[in-house]
Amino acid sequence: MARMLSGRLPDPPTAVRRGPLRAGAFPSTLHDQRVASLLGIALGITFGTCFLTGLVSHFMQHPPTWLSWPSRPVWLYRVTQGLHVTTGLASVPLLLVKLWTVYPRLWEWPPVRSVAHALERLTIVPLIAGSIFQLATGIANIAQWYRFHFFFTVTHYWVAWITIGALVVHIAAKLTTVRANVGRKRHERIPGTAVSAAPERTAGGREGDSRREGAGGGGQVLEDLEDQGNLGNGRDGAPPAGGLTRRGLAVATGTAAAVIVVTTAGQAVPALAPLDLLAPRRPDLGPQGLPVNRTARTARAARVAVAARDPGYRLEAVGTRRVGYDLAQLHALPSHTVRLPITCVEGWSADATWHGPRLRDLLDAALIPVDATVRVESLEAHGGYRASEVRPAHARDPLTLLATGLNDADLELYHGYPARLIAPDRPGVLQTKWVHRVVLL
Amino acid sequence: MSGDSDAGAGAGAGLSVGGFALRVVLVAAGLAALGYGVDGLLTMPRATRPSNATAWLIGGIVVHDALLVPGTMLVGFALSRLVRAPYRAVVQGALIVSGAVALMSLPLWRGYGGSVDNPSVNPLPYGRNLAIVLGAVWAGAALLMISRAVRVRRTGRRGDSADG
Ligand code: HEM
Repeated sequence: MARMLSGRLPDPPTAVRRGPLRAGAFPSTLHDQRVASLLGIALGITFGTCFLTGLVSHFMQHPPTWLSWPSRPVWLYRVTQGLHVTTGLASVPLLLVKLWTVYPRLWEWPPVRSVAHALERLTIVPLIAGSIFQLATGIANIAQWYRFHFFFTVTHYWVAWITIGALVVHIAAKLTTVRANVGRKRHERIPGTAVSAAPERTAGGREGDSRREGAGGGGQVLEDLEDQGNLGNGRDGAPPAGGLTRRGLAVATGTAAAVIVVTTAGQAVPALAPLDLLAPRRPDLGPQGLPVNRTARTARAARVAVAARDPGYRLEAVGTRRVGYDLAQLHALPSHTVRLPITCVEGWSADATWHGPRLRDLLDAALIPVDATVRVESLEAHGGYRASEVRPAHARDPLTLLATGLNDADLELYHGYPARLIAPDRPGVLQTKWVHRVVLL
Repeated sequence: MSGDSDAGAGAGAGLSVGGFALRVVLVAAGLAALGYGVDGLLTMPRATRPSNATAWLIGGIVVHDALLVPGTMLVGFALSRLVRAPYRAVVQGALIVSGAVALMSLPLWRGYGGSVDNPSVNPLPYGRNLAIVLGAVWAGAALLMISRAVRVRRTGRRGDSADG
């Protein structure tokens, strides 16, 4: 089996080795294993963060029955989703520079050396496709630019699994290369070092001769040097003639990521709001000083506006008993004021002051048991977000309100007039607006 | 895997037994996740529109490999002819920063997306803001170049201080 996988395949005729397939077609010494390894580690961290925070978002919205999210800390989802979008955006320069660095490998010669090599190259396809796809669709989605025909959330979710899976395989494949190129003791970890340089490179340069002579492992040496393909490994690359050094490339890439973070994170981090120049939202811009995601003005939702303003509006809570309140009665209920962030799945979040009755008081009035899950329903007739499920941790939290007011004024239609759910640590899509009924499940 | 060496020659040639086992586990876990994703994508076709999603997946690679990278290389080639040694690194660096910032905010300053009935989506003057950010980046680059010019003059040596 191992032999079959690693057996050397015949090379294609050299006559077809032209253009980018030529030896030395990519002369920049920045096409380098150390650069690729360091950027790979950075991307492993950012994509890992995106994946984990993405899973948090997914399972907050679609919790399996056994999973009960806590309602504290109030800022948990704010942090995870803000981190998700910011880290994703900061990955743009990391990914592009990394792909540029390894681009010569696309034109590697011979294109395949063995079955194992062919399989490894094959897993690069979902890795690159998935990575670019996640960043591109994410960027388009937060700008609400829907040029694709698929449903963003579902597709982004499945492609995340594809991307992260391909990334883990890739890490396994590159473990030795990374170890030989990163860390203080990297030079000791160069597997088999009898040969001095990749054939296409001239020796000499800053770290020129640090390669250690010695115990070579025959075939292993050859394979590892070949694995380097047409990438340099810095140990033998000549310094670039007056352009960016490896260090300079790292500084530029890091600066790009930092500029992106600083000019976008303000949509979630209050202290950075003044520098929020290039994010799709500003936490203080919107009706009543707060951004909005879903409005009641679209054609489909127009009837929500009518229903919400209907003088016959009633808020009902249905448990063992059914209770109902008209607007005047709703406003006469004991009111509480809470300061809670609203956090959109799209990554922005903003603090606001809400007032209105506590959800748990309504549940008590309807004789809904403390350990019960309820459904909060909107006046919307259709749509994936017309209702949301509230499990006991959130339903019973004293901070959870059916808010009738925002920032010391009555709630506007934009924000869910006559009443909306506002609970701690919960994605904005589940903070149901235009609420008219709460039912025991 | 780069892996002829790894999967095949394995433990004997520089890779410890533990390292080998770690790889086997990683590859198995990675392939399982990958397969899970493909399966999920294909079993919810009404939401994922597999043909459209595939077009975007492949389209991303094609645009990147056939346009973006060759374009970058052309720019790099032009720079190597047009900008002299101690300054070229700075220009390259500033271009990397500018390109990345412009790309990640592309829908915003191009005015794509947004919502007709919801002015709180994409509410800022993004063209102006991008100009401000890139202006700051290039101001920083200019300072760096000035400091390099001073250093070159002082030492009298050229092209020796390309670290940046
Ligand atoms: C620029 C980069 C990215 C942006 C702007 C972005 C944006 C988003 C947004 C807005 C959501 C929420 C979707 C919703 O619930 O409506 C989301 C969810 C998610 N993202 Fe990303 N993302 C990016 C990159 C990534 C990457 C690199 C990964 C992982 C490899 C990833 C994995 C996920 C996952 C697993 C979810 C959960 C989807 C669900 O709720 O079903 N994202 N992302």
